[in-house]
Amino acid sequence: MVASLLLYGCSTPQTPQDLLAPTDAQLKIRSIQTRTFDVKDRNAALRGVIASLQDLGFIIERANEPLGLVTAARFAEPNYYDVISVTVTVRQDTKDRLTIRANAIYNNKPIDDPKVYQNFFASLERSLFLTKE
Amino acid sequence: MLLTGCVTHTEPAELFQLTAETSKHRAMQTRFFETPNEKELLSASAAVLQDLGFQVEESVREVGFLRATKERSAREYGQYIQRALFLVLSFGKLLSPVDLHQKIATGLITRPLNQAATRQEVCIVFYRIVWKGDGQADRQYIPPGQQHMEMIRDPEIYQQFFAKLSKAVFLEAHTI
Repeated sequence: MVASLLLYGCSTPQTPQDLLAPTDAQLKIRSIQTRTFDVKDRNAALRGVIASLQDLGFIIERANEPLGLVTAARFAEPNYYDVISVTVTVRQDTKDRLTIRANAIYNNKPIDDPKVYQNFFASLERSLFLTKE
Repeated sequence: MLLTGCVTHTEPAELFQLTAETSKHRAMQTRFFETPNEKELLSASAAVLQDLGFQVEESVREVGFLRATKERSAREYGQYIQRALFLVLSFGKLLSPVDLHQKIATGLITRPLNQAATRQEVCIVFYRIVWKGDGQADRQYIPPGQQHMEMIRDPEIYQQFFAKLSKAVFLEAHTI
């Protein structure tokens, strides 16, 4: 018994083969994080994302137009020990439709609460609608 | 249980919600200009920030985005007086940490407001991160480097910025 335990301690752990394989949870969270919009102008959508994040009190850290990428963060006010970061990508699906995906992280833990994303997309819609006036 | 009760905790979902104060802050942080030239507005904004002592750290012209920072001392007389007062009142037991250093940062975005892009909006937010020095509470040493962050909500700072910007582009800054 002891010998087998010792032996077990020595063996190198096997890398699981399914390390990068998608799980059901991943697929579910992806659908929560993604919305499609009937918007033609990708640039305007990206600006809308930036504006709505700034409205929500996020600090824009990086933006990349060619890739349609925005990274932002904010403290979980009123406490300043926790940080929420979010990465949003805007991709053109078809000529008049685009997909927006948001990934939010609380400290270093991914947020999988659908409510968070619902709220984000609600304020984004407001911002996209504002630009169209 | 009691301890957790004392700490105010915000649910992540709440942080993605627009609050009653959002529009008030937005009005303070946003002006629009009657100009089709967004590039000029962005470069003038960068110039104004430079005049105010900021270093531009990130700029993306295609989405009209600027991020700039400046670092300054955060020492204030008031805090030193308070520290001395606490020290006396606690019979030398409490040496409260004071603010030492701060980084003032800003994020600015410009975007066209209408289809023809003859009207541009400029939205800027200022915030600061403050680092504290060390201190002592009874026998417990408080190490330096404790930091906190705050959004700057003083309307005057925003008014000053927009006054300078409107002078730089020879245009009137309209409030939303």
